[in-house]
Amino acid sequence: MPVEIKKLTHVYMPGTPFEARALNEVSLNIRDGEFIGIIGHTGSGKSTLISHFNGLERSQPGVVFVNGVDLGEKDTDMIAVRRVVGLVFQYPEYQLFEETVAKDIAFGPRNLGLDEAEIERRVARAIELVGLDASAAEKSPFELSGGQKRRVAIAGVLAMQPSILVLDEPAAGLDPAGRRDMLELVKSIHASGVTVVMVSHSMDDVGRLCDRLYVLNKGEIAFSGTPAEVFVHDQRLHEIGLDVPECAKLARKLREAGYDMPEGIYRMEDVRDAILRNLNGGK
Amino acid sequence: MLKNITLGQYFPGDSLIHRLDPRTKLLATIALIAIVFVSKGFCGFLLIAAFILACAASTGIHLKFLIKGLKPIFFIIVFTFVLNLFFQTGGEELVHIWIIRITDEGLRMASFMAVRLILLVVSSQLLTLTTSPISLTDGLETLFRPLQVIHFPAHEIAMMMSIALRFIPTLMDEADKIMKAQKARGANFETGSVVARAKAMVPLLVPLFVGAFRRAEELALAMDARCYRGGAGRTRMKQLKYQTIDLLAALAIAALLAAVILLNRFGPF
Repeated sequence: MPVEIKKLTHVYMPGTPFEARALNEVSLNIRDGEFIGIIGHTGSGKSTLISHFNGLERSQPGVVFVNGVDLGEKDTDMIAVRRVVGLVFQYPEYQLFEETVAKDIAFGPRNLGLDEAEIERRVARAIELVGLDASAAEKSPFELSGGQKRRVAIAGVLAMQPSILVLDEPAAGLDPAGRRDMLELVKSIHASGVTVVMVSHSMDDVGRLCDRLYVLNKGEIAFSGTPAEVFVHDQRLHEIGLDVPECAKLARKLREAGYDMPEGIYRMEDVRDAILRNLNGGK
Repeated sequence: MLKNITLGQYFPGDSLIHRLDPRTKLLATIALIAIVFVSKGFCGFLLIAAFILACAASTGIHLKFLIKGLKPIFFIIVFTFVLNLFFQTGGEELVHIWIIRITDEGLRMASFMAVRLILLVVSSQLLTLTTSPISLTDGLETLFRPLQVIHFPAHEIAMMMSIALRFIPTLMDEADKIMKAQKARGANFETGSVVARAKAMVPLLVPLFVGAFRRAEELALAMDARCYRGGAGRTRMKQLKYQTIDLLAALAIAALLAAVILLNRFGPF
């Protein structure tokens, strides 16, 4: 089991008036090769949760395991853990600092202590993987556009060749075209054999891409399961400030109007097919 | 790790001291610092310490926050203590090992200086822990206003201070985020030699500076868009007004000063 979390509770600044319970007994499992979506409203604890995936936030022993390694133990080799779990934070373009794109991408591999030839190979591969032009390598990251900067930042994490990639709102703040491209990129990374965890609050995005979802509300897991299983709870999701994909809403309205729409459909193709079946009189 | 800095951190509350006019608190703190310097003996210090502790207790702020604030200057306190201990030569000799001589005068002086430093820091901490940064700068601006006659830019300085204070938590948050992001890429900020650790700060500082400049530009634009043009003719929603408690505070400080002066003259130690 690549990531296993058992009853994780996290309290910020305990014992002060600023005390805040960010996570409360959160348990989850992520299997090899899965595409997991973590959804929640702002402040629901999503970012705190993913910070536990590679030990940036520590917990008690026996709570967070990555590939069987207990991240709560004091003598766990954190660099080794970070080699396995790549973490791309929200707005990662703000973490760029080097003179050139290539040097910035090389930062992670260099910290892993790889030799120069291997670093060069990984940088070239990461640049290609995120769809940047090879000529961008020698440019300053600060010259690039916002979307390109974000690709550089993602390349910087991919160059560490993690087997689990965690992305916090990778499409936040991008225009519709940039958004589509970014999600395609995440999809292609998953297709190349990486286990992907994506934090988002767009139900449409996670519904289209993810195998399983975890819905966080006020630091607790409200729902988990396949998108179809989660989107059945549309009323409750609405109450906690979330939504279901547009197609699921349409399907529900049609069902309420008396049409024969199966429960839990949310993909555009499925809804389309169901509508066509109704139009053709159930044939 | 960055969340543990308390020096200058406001602690919300509704005690008498919280409700004092910021000008009163500023002046009282300055007076308190002066009183610490006026005191010539441990008797006076004892009284001042009792006064500060009573104030702190009335605010409901846990003592550990005051002690935590001493951490950054712990080294300075120890350094002063050691320096005074070894280099004060007057008085009766207590210990003499090789070239190290410790005299009773030295011991007295060393503890005197250390206590004085601690009292100075704790009293100014009481101010920042009980006063929100906004009201602190408001108070400063009002106090400095008479100096405008000699072209002292009171408003501008207060504005700069409030902007600086306003952005400390923002920048700390950002530093925390960048640090996490670089740690996720295998960066190591905690171990290694001094040079290695200084080098490790580059991936943190460059994005932090870039971000600070970006924010500064955005803020300037936002202020401009709301027609900010300096302090001239600016009115404020919350007017500062002295109240009875401010008078009481002034009287308490005056009483403390008188007591310390008396103790200087008649105190047993």
